[in-house]
Amino acid sequence: MGCGVSKSSEFYSKKDGKDVPLIVVPAATTMRAAVLIQRWYRRYVARKEMRRRYTWNIFQSMEYAGEQDQIKLYNFLGYLVDNFTPSGNLISHIFRDNEVCRDTEWERYFSYENIDVPEIYSGPRLTFPLTVSQVAGLVEAFKNKQQLHSRYVLQLLLETWKLLRILPNINRVSTCQSKEITICGDLHGQLEDLLLIFYKNGMPSQGTPYVFNGDFVDRGKDSIEILLILFSFLLVYPGDVHLNRGNHEDHIINLRYGFTKEVLGKYRLHGKRILKLLQKIFSWLPLATVIDQRVLIVHGGISDTTDLALITRIDRHRYESVLRPPKRKSALSGGQSSLDDDDSLSNISLHNRRRASLTNDKPFGTRDSFQRRSLQDFSATVNQTVEEEQEARRRQGPNPLSSESESDSTSGPDNTNDEWKQILDMLWSDPMAQNGCFPNELRGGGCYWGPNVTEEFLSRHNLQLIIRSHECKQEGYEFCHNRKVLTLFSASNYYEVGSNRGAYIRLGPNLVPYFIQYQASDLTRELTLKQSVGRTERSALKALKEQLFANKSGLISAFQEYDKDNTGRISFNDWAKAVGTVLHLDLPWRMLRSQLVTLTPDNMLNYHSWFNELSWKGRNTEHVEQTVLDTLYKHRSTLETIFRIVDTDNSGVLSFEDFRQTWRLLGDFLKMQISDEAISDLLVSIDTNKDGNIDIEEFMEAFRLVDRHRLERGNTVFITKDKL
Amino acid sequence: MAPKKKEEPKPAAPKAPEPEPVKEPEFDPKEVQIEFTAEQIEDFKDAFQLFDRTPLNEMKITYGQCGDLIRALGQNPTNAEVMYVLGKPKPDDMATKMLDFDSFLPIHQHICKAKDRGTFEDFVEGLRVFDKEGNGTVMGAELRHVLQTLGEKLKEDEVEQLMAGQEDANGCINYEAFVKHIMAS
Repeated sequence: MGCGVSKSSEFYSKKDGKDVPLIVVPAATTMRAAVLIQRWYRRYVARKEMRRRYTWNIFQSMEYAGEQDQIKLYNFLGYLVDNFTPSGNLISHIFRDNEVCRDTEWERYFSYENIDVPEIYSGPRLTFPLTVSQVAGLVEAFKNKQQLHSRYVLQLLLETWKLLRILPNINRVSTCQSKEITICGDLHGQLEDLLLIFYKNGMPSQGTPYVFNGDFVDRGKDSIEILLILFSFLLVYPGDVHLNRGNHEDHIINLRYGFTKEVLGKYRLHGKRILKLLQKIFSWLPLATVIDQRVLIVHGGISDTTDLALITRIDRHRYESVLRPPKRKSALSGGQSSLDDDDSLSNISLHNRRRASLTNDKPFGTRDSFQRRSLQDFSATVNQTVEEEQEARRRQGPNPLSSESESDSTSGPDNTNDEWKQILDMLWSDPMAQNGCFPNELRGGGCYWGPNVTEEFLSRHNLQLIIRSHECKQEGYEFCHNRKVLTLFSASNYYEVGSNRGAYIRLGPNLVPYFIQYQASDLTRELTLKQSVGRTERSALKALKEQLFANKSGLISAFQEYDKDNTGRISFNDWAKAVGTVLHLDLPWRMLRSQLVTLTPDNMLNYHSWFNELSWKGRNTEHVEQTVLDTLYKHRSTLETIFRIVDTDNSGVLSFEDFRQTWRLLGDFLKMQISDEAISDLLVSIDTNKDGNIDIEEFMEAFRLVDRHRLERGNTVFITKDKL
Repeated sequence: MAPKKKEEPKPAAPKAPEPEPVKEPEFDPKEVQIEFTAEQIEDFKDAFQLFDRTPLNEMKITYGQCGDLIRALGQNPTNAEVMYVLGKPKPDDMATKMLDFDSFLPIHQHICKAKDRGTFEDFVEGLRVFDKEGNGTVMGAELRHVLQTLGEKLKEDEVEQLMAGQEDANGCINYEAFVKHIMAS
């Protein structure tokens, strides 16, 4: 052996300082083998990445479609109320401005003093003012699955409310004294993630300041516990804990996404009061946080009209739900979206969702009345201290809680709309790769904003970075816009166990973010990448199948367009086209083919038998009209939301009459005719023990989707989770 | 130093085992006959769109994504083969130069037509090379070393991912099962 590169693969070990060959394998064969394995490996990775990508695609499309639905519903209900329709009466209470005006009256309504705590209660008993050890005790209690008694909940919420009222719209924080600030994104009721963050990073304290960037509630099952923990820390360390409002800190959204249901379930007696108080608290949450006058932290993002100086001045509490501007006398366009807007929204092809819809009227008010502020104007406002803000607020009048827009002398109707748009954009917008700024049609609120908007915004406000949340990211965080915008998401396993990691950031005086990622489940650590991807994929496909089934009647009509001879078969190409159009979901249907359909040898699909693979759970549903069932299944989230709205005393039970009214409302919303007969059929199929009443839960439960094959094999009924 | 001739007990493949196709003419996409069916082309379009990250959905991907896309569609070219069909681009080009669907098709066709893809048997044969005891297993450590040092080297985390859950308590891998695992995606 001379010098030079050896061509055989020889494995050496050191022995007495000399290289001793362990094995000698013929060079060419080894090389060939290595290359072969490497090639196959790279293919394996690429295919897995592709599966992961379309799985993500599925979940995200469905999530955003749900949000869009909710906004449409809300706008529709608003239309009913504004136009004094009879159905409007049923639901107008959600739009009713709070009648009670004075602080003291509110405090009496939310009074906890007459709530007795029984001896038998073993959870934490709080005394106010809260101490650090009590808060630690509270965290411990929640870790042990205990529930805080409603008396203490109300008391804690009242204290929180008092504190939030004196906070400014934009929190200002500094990293002086070498303090590192910890920033967290969406938590969505996932207590495990919050506990994991506390475990890794320490609980909030004077040495460990935190910013929580909104979306604390909905979807996860421990939303109220997360709120109580965050609020407790806020009370104990008001200078070191900062909360930003998210788009889910909104009672209208909560009706659909689980928070309302959670609170009413956990607090049967006082849940309604707790929710009412939270409704106000959410509106008092600050809208953003600025660190060292250089880094902006906001839940959604910005638009090309976002102006922090303007935002500093508005009365944020007037916007209890950000989905609608405060009521105005005129019913002109601007904030009210007419039914036509709904049509145009659904007609816009999702393929073009990022395209400039120049012909689309901006439904959220005009820009013209708004003036650009100069850099100096902003800095002047930025330097205003908390005390000055408090003073300004007190000067505004004795009833800061009044939601009458007329009483506020500083803003006329135009300004109200601009203010509303400012908040909406901050809480709902998403960044996009292309320059420009367009309405965010996918979600239904806020904008898509581009890198040029970021540049302009940052330079105008003398900032260097925007940290936002609002979008789930696989690694828990993601940069965009030339690293000027950072998305941070703290709810791991959001779509499914193993779907994504969560992350939080530490930010020191150098303002360079340092990331910590995690996944809060023992299970996920055990899963290999292949298994996580597989599991998430199965879950996504299941959800997708449900959607397909829910759109059965629409799909069958579309299929029949391609099957004029009524053979019951269509080509795969036609299937893909029909499905894409009917479902309004921009997905790679062809790639999902093998997972969703079985084709005959000549690449055709028997679509009737395809649908027969899934069926209804309810045994008494044969007599119910198929289209009614389809409607019910497809719009169950909307239906459930309407139920909850109509159920004004939050009892979980509706009278037959209200039930009928709800269906008529749904019919109007969907522009469908639902006959009284069909509704009666539905009533009959529900086992109503109570006289003239229907249990909402029972009703929704009765119409779940099951896998018919499982049913026939005599397995326990396979109930699909309605997570969306 | 005169290079010594290495012993090769088995006749090597007529071409050098190196993945670099030496002395081959530059790739000319116009020379490629597209033999895909319309159905297949639709499938490729779907996949292409999934990889398309352009703001306006322009149906373009970067050079860097091309290899991944070809692999995602079920082929398993070497990196060198991918570079060849892309016209041997510079490293900087990989992230900046774009490929549209019509330019992609001939590239993909060429890869699909290439012989010597490697069957299950070839694969097992390749691994058998490392099976010193002839008992159907290879040492995980050995395999790792080879994959990281030879051919188109894998990085450490890639090897980790590849081997995850494959080694038994003794650090051995049953390679038939291993191959099935890799090919079943």
